[in-house]
Amino acid sequence: MGCVILKKKRNVEAFLFTVPALLFLGVFVFYPLINNIVYSFQSFTLSSATKEWVGLKNYQTLLSDGIILTSIKNNVLYAVISIIIQVGFGLVLAAVLEDVAFRKVAPALRSVYFIPTILSMTVVCLLFEFVYNPQMGLLNSFLEAVGLDSLAKVWLGSKKTAMYAVIAVSQWQSTGYIAMLFIVAIQKIPKDLYEAAEVDGASKIRRFFYITVPQVRQMFFVTMILTVSGAFTVFNEPYILTGGGPGTATMVLALHMYQTGFIKNNMGYASTIAILIFVITAALSSVQFFSFGKKEDA
Amino acid sequence: MKFRKLAAMTLAAAMAATMLSACSGGGSSETAATAAAEAGTEAAAGGETEAAAPAAEGEQVVINFFHRWPNDPKNTMFKNLIQEYMDENPNVTINMDCILNDEYKEKIRMVVSTDEVPDIFSSWSGTFAQEMIASGNVSTLTDMYEEDPEWAGKIAQASIDGFTFDGEIYAAPWSQDGKVFFYNKKIFEENNLEVPTTWNEFIAVLDALKAAGYETPIVEGLMDNWAILHYLGTMNQRMLDPEVLAKDYDAATGEFTDPAYVDVLDKWQQLTSYMGDVCVAIDHETARNTYFATGEAPIMYLQFAEITLLEQSLPEGFEYGFFNFPAFEEGKGDPKALTGAPEGFMISNKTQYPEECRKFLKWLVSEKGGAALTTEAGDLSSVDGAVNESNGLPAHLEAMEIINSASTLAPWFDNACDAAVYTVYGQGAQAIAVGDETPESVMAMVQEAAASLH
Repeated sequence: MGCVILKKKRNVEAFLFTVPALLFLGVFVFYPLINNIVYSFQSFTLSSATKEWVGLKNYQTLLSDGIILTSIKNNVLYAVISIIIQVGFGLVLAAVLEDVAFRKVAPALRSVYFIPTILSMTVVCLLFEFVYNPQMGLLNSFLEAVGLDSLAKVWLGSKKTAMYAVIAVSQWQSTGYIAMLFIVAIQKIPKDLYEAAEVDGASKIRRFFYITVPQVRQMFFVTMILTVSGAFTVFNEPYILTGGGPGTATMVLALHMYQTGFIKNNMGYASTIAILIFVITAALSSVQFFSFGKKEDA
Repeated sequence: MKFRKLAAMTLAAAMAATMLSACSGGGSSETAATAAAEAGTEAAAGGETEAAAPAAEGEQVVINFFHRWPNDPKNTMFKNLIQEYMDENPNVTINMDCILNDEYKEKIRMVVSTDEVPDIFSSWSGTFAQEMIASGNVSTLTDMYEEDPEWAGKIAQASIDGFTFDGEIYAAPWSQDGKVFFYNKKIFEENNLEVPTTWNEFIAVLDALKAAGYETPIVEGLMDNWAILHYLGTMNQRMLDPEVLAKDYDAATGEFTDPAYVDVLDKWQQLTSYMGDVCVAIDHETARNTYFATGEAPIMYLQFAEITLLEQSLPEGFEYGFFNFPAFEEGKGDPKALTGAPEGFMISNKTQYPEECRKFLKWLVSEKGGAALTTEAGDLSSVDGAVNESNGLPAHLEAMEIINSASTLAPWFDNACDAAVYTVYGQGAQAIAVGDETPESVMAMVQEAAASLH
């Protein structure tokens, strides 16, 4: 009997602890989200006194807007490259750093790979503007120095290379962070698994694929959500590096939303684009959540 | 056990309290100024029955002044001017607040239609001013001009025109600007080139410079959309029938179906072919400082407001001259017009102290304020006689002459039409420069954007 009461008391305590977080979420996440849905059916500007109901007009615009297509294409490209480089290469990097052969230098290298993450995105982008500068930039100068003049390009000014140049900045910055997450996961893998495999004569490559990869599956799930939702909400890099240009070659959804709302002063339609971003990221997250969740049960 | 529960509750309460105070924290600093203003009002309430408009003797007047120049030298200049005014008028306190361009646009758009509107705030002319006025919170200042012809007579008419709508004046113009081609005099002399007055002459000059070995006879930082828009605004003005242009720039009637718009973009395409491959990957400042100022590119389209900045990066003995955008042979617009618009200050009609606000603005928009603007910031004042031999560079004086001799001031493209239209225009023209779009396809997008507005 006493035990039950104690349990109930504990539940009240537990609930009390969640109140601030719930309040916080309610005020800063759920209320704006619901408000945003309402806004997406309206037409208004930043300075307009009233909001006009326009029904589904904003959604019709969304379907016929060519920039949306370009943006989604770029966001998908962003996501694919981010998964390959950040998650794929990040895992390999983590496995290499955790290998016995690197035991001595690993701490130093870990810091080196992690440094880009702690730099401000704006600083990184401005740095890369210098790297990509066609006249005096590091990249072109390097290519010329090693005799590859023909590969020197107007990186941010050409529609063919601009998007890749923008994406590369994120990879440079975030791979170290993802690798760090994998390192933590790898360190949790019981050492006896590796020892047993070694005794059985498994090579390092086999040990990576048959022990490391399955054991860090949970972390895979986390990093995939991080990189994919990051790729679909990316804003800073294209905003600072290219402003979406040349033309709309590097336009992404978040930047298009910002320009529509704050430059074209069409807040209603911007809210509609925000809904689209929300739907895409929510759908992708739940797909990943359910597919990874099932494996966990099996 | 009891202690634990108590501790838990206290902690939860503390967390909630911290959160709430964090939420209200942002607001309180903003409201502090208004609270101060309200305190002033309450004090004034007693005297209000006798003397309504002018502030009563000895009463503390608080004016909120919001502008878009948080950077030096202008920020310090404003601070000093305001301090001087407050010393002269001890009953007046002026709270200055400022944020930079784009953020300023966002913030003033948000507050202008609310009760939080600042007493005095800066505004661009043209569509931006119209948008401010449409909020219903901007006071008309026509009577201020009529009451004081001596003050009003010193302000450049072209600047006043930029803030006149339906016969009413809504601002005190502060600065004026113009956009012309700056050219490297030495290079022009070396190649025996004359200043071009028509488009074909201009192209001939560019060809001659290219033949003389200049890879980029004309330079621009095409990464900056606004720089592209400055070109297109002038080119449209030179090419199009003014009536067609006025109809298309109006959001309610804009169609952009005249074939001359495509001609303009064709000419834009032609022009960008002289800018070299690099121009699409650099910004305006880089173009100015590392191409024009070094003599690598002999011509660049610059604002008079950039004279002081340019002078800082010029080598010894660099001489430059100005010429207005050449006329199109087939153009229907006024070739003597100059692209460039005034900026000014508006007074809210919700202010508690309209008379005090006017008094301050008249004091600020004067030869004194104008001279400070030229000496300290290198901008051109709208006040007649404020720029003179003693405070301006020779280039400033020449610039004033060009502004005064222009038949009319044509507004910047991004002050002349709706953002939905000019954004598409800017992105499209950038895409033309890299060969991604054609003039026809860009105009189709512009037409679509214009149609979506009505």
